[in-house]
Amino acid sequence: MDASLLTIQPASPEPIYRQIVEQLRRLIAGGQLGAGDLLPSVRDVAAFHAINPMTVSRAYGMAESEGLLERLRGKGMAVAATVRPTQTQTQRLALLEPQLQALVRHARELELPADAVLRRLGRLLED
Amino acid sequence: MNAMLKDAADRPGPPLAARDLGHGYEGATVLRGIDLDIAAGSVLGLIGRNGAGKSTLLRALLGLLEPTTGETRVFGKPALAMDDGIRQRIAYVPQQPEALAWLTVAQMFDYLGRFYPRWNHAFARDTLARWQLPANKLFGKLSPGERQRVELVRALASEPELLVLDEPAAALDPVARRELLREIALRACEAGITVVFSTHIVSDLERVASDIAFLHQGRLLLHCPVDDTKERYARLWLPARLGPHAPASTLGRRSHADGSVSVVIERDAHGRWPDEAAQPGVRLDVLGLEDLFVEIAE
Repeated sequence: MDASLLTIQPASPEPIYRQIVEQLRRLIAGGQLGAGDLLPSVRDVAAFHAINPMTVSRAYGMAESEGLLERLRGKGMAVAATVRPTQTQTQRLALLEPQLQALVRHARELELPADAVLRRLGRLLED
Repeated sequence: MNAMLKDAADRPGPPLAARDLGHGYEGATVLRGIDLDIAAGSVLGLIGRNGAGKSTLLRALLGLLEPTTGETRVFGKPALAMDDGIRQRIAYVPQQPEALAWLTVAQMFDYLGRFYPRWNHAFARDTLARWQLPANKLFGKLSPGERQRVELVRALASEPELLVLDEPAAALDPVARRELLREIALRACEAGITVVFSTHIVSDLERVASDIAFLHQGRLLLHCPVDDTKERYARLWLPARLGPHAPASTLGRRSHADGSVSVVIERDAHGRWPDEAAQPGVRLDVLGLEDLFVEIAE
């Protein structure tokens, strides 16, 4: 994997380390990154995007503790051998969590009852 | 690298520390009650409106002006009594550099190269060329922007352990700015240097800073890791009818023309927002740094 595959938006309300983890999750779930693929070094990512190296370390550490990445001695970080592109339904659902939470927040702001929102969502999903 | 690690072991105090720092000019108070510890290896972005006291704070931290209250320490030594040994480990670039105007850039660098034990000749030469700076022109004849670029090259070439930059982005085009940020990021990574820079370009700060300090009307309102600004603070908007139910906030409160109110709220020790944030009809916005800054500084 190359550092240029990541997109960093410094002005986003989402901290940069979370942006990196989120992209790794999606790249792995989508199969663009496979088990054993090497990740760019912290230095390479920090240099390419001109971001603080501690931010990159934090993202890698978080992805490692989630089981997405593993540290290979002498080679750096790699996609964990146990990771498969076809994840379980629960894992794929977890990727939707931020959008679902945003939906809940908007619904509350608009003071919409839950059943009305669920009915509409159900119809959209059936289409 | 090993020499630097050894230096680090000998080092008695944090790169920069201020206690109850205050300063004023002609009766006007510029800084008041500033307490600040800057840890080794951190990259601190200092943000504040024009006139907030950023330049004065940087100068006071380095002992370049005498504070009216409190004191500052550089690597554990009083800033007003630094010896050459400590000076060689620091580089400071003011907004309007004036130094050594009677030398050409090349002569100045040759002179400085003898003063700084770790002077990096190759870096100085290459970066001068990349930033299109004329090595054979008198420093005094350069434009203000060129002077600041030369000073940035000088500061980086001296391989400092503490780098203090006052509005470094002002003199750089976007390409050179990105290059400076990259240089800061890599040095923080490899050499473990400590960087303090003031800026009004918030996205630069979000990229490269590990910590951020908000200076407002001479006071330090916030000093925290940069990720905390996005995860610990948010803006709560309440419609006019809920205005009286806004949580008490010390960071910022704005009343809008239609009677609605917005306040900056903070998570408690358990990571929860104040109860008022759960009322129906209120809106919680997670803020980018720029928006947070505007909410606090307005």
